[in-house]
Amino acid sequence: MTDAPLTPFQDDAALAGEYVLGVLDATERARVEARIKADPAFAAEVTAWETRFAGMNDGFAEAPAPDLLPRIEARLFGRASPARAGSLDRLARFLIGAGLAAAVLLAAIVVLRPPPAPVGPVITATLAAEDASLAFAARYEGGTLTVTRTIGAAAPAGRSHELWIIVGEAAPVSLGLIEAAGYTRPLDALPEGAVLAVTLEPAGGSPTGGPTGPVVAAGPVAL
Amino acid sequence: MTDDPIAELLIRVATGDRTAFRELYAATSSKLMGVLVRMLGQRAEAEEALQDVFTRVWTRAGRFDAARGSALGWLVAVARNAAIDRLRARPPVLTGTKEDEAATVADDRPGVEAGLIAKGEARRVVDCMAEIEPDRAAAVRGAYLQGRSYQALAERHGVPLNTMRTWLRRSLIRLRECMER
Repeated sequence: MTDAPLTPFQDDAALAGEYVLGVLDATERARVEARIKADPAFAAEVTAWETRFAGMNDGFAEAPAPDLLPRIEARLFGRASPARAGSLDRLARFLIGAGLAAAVLLAAIVVLRPPPAPVGPVITATLAAEDASLAFAARYEGGTLTVTRTIGAAAPAGRSHELWIIVGEAAPVSLGLIEAAGYTRPLDALPEGAVLAVTLEPAGGSPTGGPTGPVVAAGPVAL
Repeated sequence: MTDDPIAELLIRVATGDRTAFRELYAATSSKLMGVLVRMLGQRAEAEEALQDVFTRVWTRAGRFDAARGSALGWLVAVARNAAIDRLRARPPVLTGTKEDEAATVADDRPGVEAGLIAKGEARRVVDCMAEIEPDRAAAVRGAYLQGRSYQALAERHGVPLNTMRTWLRRSLIRLRECMER
């Protein structure tokens, strides 16, 4: 073993291995996932690590699984919804449906927004409810994300609006609560193609770390 | 075709075959549930995650390449990813509080893979892990099997986070070199 710095090639190989092991935090993971989509050689190294580590899979014992097929099929094939749809189910379904609606709304709302300041790249997103009863305008500039409610009311008493980012097919990551006055916080990066969503949570935010309430607005991030 | 029955199912799932999807669930859900329970430490969340996993499997089955590894290995990778996404989305204070220490400590020991089959990749990763310092190999195992983050590994091994990162990155490079040999 040497203490020489890793070569760029080793550096990439180690990063792919760290990603597959899962030791990176959510922000780093999102960055690596963007790279996997954009860089086929790097993606191949990730697959190679999955194969290398597969030899440890016998360390996972089997555990009886309940029959979740009806719920999975309902989610995938749109059959009658189960009585207790998980919030993630609803989020996934909503986002699929929201794609088109968001594009239409974006076209409508973009006209109403002031032109972006000509300093640095500005990333915007419009988060809208399916019935357009609630909407938020998100703006990312100079490392700060600002979210302002443009249509509809603040969360009712005893509830909070919580902001989430979904990158690729990763689980939603909370960005914190949107207060009645709005939301302004520093953020490392807002990747294009990510989705911002707002859920209605108990006061103070989701108790679980994942969304637990209904999605009240969502929209894709666009440059 | 292939002599891997799981791969046969996965290839049919990629064509939109719902019967194959049901058979795949019957054949692999307990293994994948085992992965999720082990990594997430909570049965209820593992059941939620299992639904995410099979949803992903349906939409991504076309990406499985039988030339690159076993179908079950591909499925476990999908399950591990779903578990890690959930673990990393948890607020930091919750990380590491849900582990069953008694169960996890034992699993860190190299003996875990002792019952492993002497075949292909499995043999190679076991042999190559033996070439790494035992505490670093334990960190790799803890990350792979329990989904431990850098922060959790650093706390567990009583070293600064950057030290753990350096250890693990160098261990990965040595593991890679050993396995590519």
